[in-house]
Amino acid sequence: MDEIKKQSEYDAIERTARRHRIFRNIGLYTFLAVCAIAVLFPFFWMLITSLKTQSAYNGEVVPKFYVSDPTMGNYKEAFTAVPLAGYFLNTLIYTVVTTALMMIVIVPAAFAFARMRFPGRNLVFSLFLSLMMIPTELVIITNYVTITSWNMRNTFAGLILPSITSVFYIYLLKENFEQIPEELYKAAKVDGTSDFKYLLRVMVPVAKPTIVTITILKVIECWNAYVWPRLITDDRSRFLVSNGIQEIRQNGFGRDNIPAMMATVVVVSVPLIVLFLIFRNKIMEGVSRGGTKG
Amino acid sequence: MKQSKLKPWLYLLPAIIFLGVFMVYPLIDVMVYSFEEGYNFVSQTSKGTGLYNYRYVLRDPYFVQALKNTFVLVIITVPVSTGLALLISLALSSVKPLRNLFQTVYFLPYVTNTLAVGLVFMVLFKKTEYSDGMVNLLIKAFGGEAVDFIDGPHWAKMLVMCIYTVWIVLPFKILILTSALASVKEDYYKAARVDGTRPSRIFFRITLPMISPMIFYLIITGFIGAFKAYSDEVALFGVDLNSAGMNTMVGYIYDMLYGNSGGYPSFASAAALILFAVVFTITCINLMVSRSRVQY
Amino acid sequence: MKRIRTLLLVIAALAVTLLSGCHKSSKRVPFTVPKEFDTTKEYTITFWAKNDTNITQVNVYEKAISDFEKLYPNVHVVLKKYTDYAAIYQDVITNIATDTTPNVCITYPDHIATYQKGSNVVVNLDNLMYDVNYGLGGSKLLFDGPTAEEIVPKFLEECRIGGAVYALPYMRSTEALYINKDLVTKLGYDIPDVPTWDYIWEVSEAAMAKNADGTFVVNGQTTLIPFIYKSTDNMMISMLWQKHAAYSDADGNVLLFNDDTRDILYSIVPHAKSRSFSTFKISSYPGNYLNAGQCIFAIDSTAGATWMGTDAPNSDICSDDIVRFETVVRPIPQYNPDDPYMISQGPSMCIFNKEDEGEVMASWLFMQFMLTNEVQISYSQTEGYIPVTTKAQQSPEYQEYLAAEGTDNGLHYSVKIQAAKLFLANIDNTFVTPVFAGSASVREAAGELVENVTRSVRRKKTVDDAFIQQLYEDTAALKHLDQITVSGTETRASGALPKASKVLLISLVIVWIALIGIYATRLILKKKASS
Repeated sequence: MDEIKKQSEYDAIERTARRHRIFRNIGLYTFLAVCAIAVLFPFFWMLITSLKTQSAYNGEVVPKFYVSDPTMGNYKEAFTAVPLAGYFLNTLIYTVVTTALMMIVIVPAAFAFARMRFPGRNLVFSLFLSLMMIPTELVIITNYVTITSWNMRNTFAGLILPSITSVFYIYLLKENFEQIPEELYKAAKVDGTSDFKYLLRVMVPVAKPTIVTITILKVIECWNAYVWPRLITDDRSRFLVSNGIQEIRQNGFGRDNIPAMMATVVVVSVPLIVLFLIFRNKIMEGVSRGGTKG
Repeated sequence: MKQSKLKPWLYLLPAIIFLGVFMVYPLIDVMVYSFEEGYNFVSQTSKGTGLYNYRYVLRDPYFVQALKNTFVLVIITVPVSTGLALLISLALSSVKPLRNLFQTVYFLPYVTNTLAVGLVFMVLFKKTEYSDGMVNLLIKAFGGEAVDFIDGPHWAKMLVMCIYTVWIVLPFKILILTSALASVKEDYYKAARVDGTRPSRIFFRITLPMISPMIFYLIITGFIGAFKAYSDEVALFGVDLNSAGMNTMVGYIYDMLYGNSGGYPSFASAAALILFAVVFTITCINLMVSRSRVQY
Repeated sequence: MKRIRTLLLVIAALAVTLLSGCHKSSKRVPFTVPKEFDTTKEYTITFWAKNDTNITQVNVYEKAISDFEKLYPNVHVVLKKYTDYAAIYQDVITNIATDTTPNVCITYPDHIATYQKGSNVVVNLDNLMYDVNYGLGGSKLLFDGPTAEEIVPKFLEECRIGGAVYALPYMRSTEALYINKDLVTKLGYDIPDVPTWDYIWEVSEAAMAKNADGTFVVNGQTTLIPFIYKSTDNMMISMLWQKHAAYSDADGNVLLFNDDTRDILYSIVPHAKSRSFSTFKISSYPGNYLNAGQCIFAIDSTAGATWMGTDAPNSDICSDDIVRFETVVRPIPQYNPDDPYMISQGPSMCIFNKEDEGEVMASWLFMQFMLTNEVQISYSQTEGYIPVTTKAQQSPEYQEYLAAEGTDNGLHYSVKIQAAKLFLANIDNTFVTPVFAGSASVREAAGELVENVTRSVRRKKTVDDAFIQQLYEDTAALKHLDQITVSGTETRASGALPKASKVLLISLVIVWIALIGIYATRLILKKKASS
């Protein structure tokens, strides 16, 4: 008799617990879904607006959530009326060259700080660290004058040179290099390997995840670059993607052609999104690791 | 193990050259500019040395407005975004299926170009001659009156700015907090559950303290990042920010240098140094506080 | 020992950089006319020009360049295209500092005044113009250029800075009022020869009548802005001039913030409130609305004539939206129709001082070539400009062009030629504003006043004397008008600190005191603990 009572009590508790769990899950999922919609909505809007014709869009006093007459004309215009392909190319060149040059600069520097012993090493490193506190806004003024006096405005060199190095990435890489056991280094030295060979053959491959992280972060930074390019390029053929968008906002597409502008925005956003979807795990891992190192 | 004295310096040379030319030299140059009063780019003369630039900038109503805007932005967006990120991270950690999908969705804003998406936000919030815009549609559905968020009253513009900023910084914070939550050892939770502790108590006594270093980190970097806000404003309101009353400190610096009424590097430098002072102070506060924390 | 060494190093580095950081200026020698232009020496000159995204204008430039190079084979001209004057201005300013200015550029006299702040940047043309051999219409020129007298004197006026000529006008335009005649007739009004402001306001208000379903009675659409003025700078300046009120003077005094300005702003307020008036910055380009039947009175430069009207050769809007109507061109609204005033504007050309005199001469010759009939006529035909020389204006080719009004919707587009004829008939009624370093900022300030008032009224703010006073101060600060006056007023850098700045400074000080205090206490505690 007692057993049956205990069993039914137990069942009742189970049932209430399950009900609570279901409510809780519904609540959680609803909350997450609402947030997800809020995050996704601009992308959705961007997409459907780019498929509407201009007069259809202007005629909608109440914006519609669907497209009655989808057209690809805006995309065609995005590439013809504005040198969008050119902007892409410029941004691609800028990103690739800057990232490559950056690697060449920071890998040896991080190695020097991590493994090599020389007098003044700690002092120089602390000096480097203190440079991290200098915001770009401060240095941009002088860099502007410097680049202009070297007559490099509206050139790739002018865009790339000041953006190459960042102390933060040197710091990140150095930390990572330091985690590689020193015994390996000592053993290689005993074998007679030169520092440079050791760096290339051993350290770089082992530190690959961090290097990938840094590359990805730099790529995103370059793709989004706006302020520095805006300051030193005003020749439209040299614009990057961000300046291009800003230019379109002010002057392009007959000043009012919102669907065409949206088409441009879609085209600009697609490459990074695709990149993200492919390398999703690596990117998210890298960013969180980069973030936690602070 | 003898190492050539020169080699390490050789390895450091490229970094030193770039940093020297593009970071150290500018720093000193800017300080010199800021003390050369009213330096003019074209005539390349200044009216002497002194604190004139600082006095000018601190009294410029547009600097004051930029200051106020920046501060409001910081004070509103940092707590809101961190709090929201915390809620979302907690929710994400509590559900297993579909977690990857949600995480991918939430991370999307991080990989998009902020200027491009800013344009979309502008379109959504702007009231034009033809239509009231998407957001106003929602407001009217709830019985409110349509407001022009892009070209209207100041509070509306500030609101859009905050919404957009939160939208942009959310992905990074969610990511950091979810990994921080994941790193809290399960054992603590198990022990607490065995004891029969209420979930809210678990949260406040165990979870929060364990992830508090991360939260603190996010708040500090959030502060510093918000002080540097500029391209987001341009995305929403266009380049003429002073006129729109939505300038930020960084925007003020750029406009002084290169805008329509620009060509005043000395004023820009003074403003830049003031900004640096603020950021530097916050960093020092951070250092001081983090050093005093007991590390687990 | 080590510490002292590093300290010394740092000081040395600072000293070096400080010395290099000192900002010095370079000196330039004023230009003197050489006796002969050496036709055997090779010269390459850069020419910075503005063109709308209009390919025909680029063609005009390129033809001019190739024709010039045929006459002077030793000169090679490199063209750099810009789409707006502000970009040219920015570029020139930055290049003055590095001595890499172009040779010839198309720019506004307001901008040239700022270039002149550097010493001898732009070449003074007074002597050059009247030189017997190489001046305007000089004997040794290889082409048929105009003489100094053949340049319309009123246009040359704007190119004087401080009494000396620093530029030559290139093209001229004025502003015109483009009217949708059908809508005006529908409202029951006629169109006078010289409309007044009262007329415009009255008709605009009458047009705001709506049907029961929210559409406008006069055009049956949901959108109608009866009166749109593109350039609010010109709006304010023209209104002030028509009232014989003060705006600025040749000495660089800013007289804009006066009671006449205030009265003008008050007169705009009710129409901004009823939304019968709007501007380019607030709404969009007037032509877009005019062509879609959503605007009755659109004011833009005569250069914008190719965008106005049903059959306009240039259009930004979708062809489905264009409405059929008759376009009529009139002078801009006046306070007194018997005493009309309209602003004349347009790009001018200037040459930059270089070390090589021959290079400057080559630039001067090219600049003169731009004033020959062929270049003047073909460029003016691309938009509603008129040539700046009476020689070109009275030439048979140009007269033929004017007579062919309406024969097609391209080169002889009727609205464009009507606008040009309007200008030619009203040359004596045009005016130019004084030019001095910073005059561009004053004009922007004038426009900003109108924009601000219109926007504020829409946001339901009250516009009263206190508002206007605050607006004057804010606008002066926005455009840095205090930096203009030669004397350099100290008012900006003195006086009470605004509250926010005070709060900033005080809180910074407090925080630092606290930080240093905490750090010191920690050090002391550590010392105590270790002792």
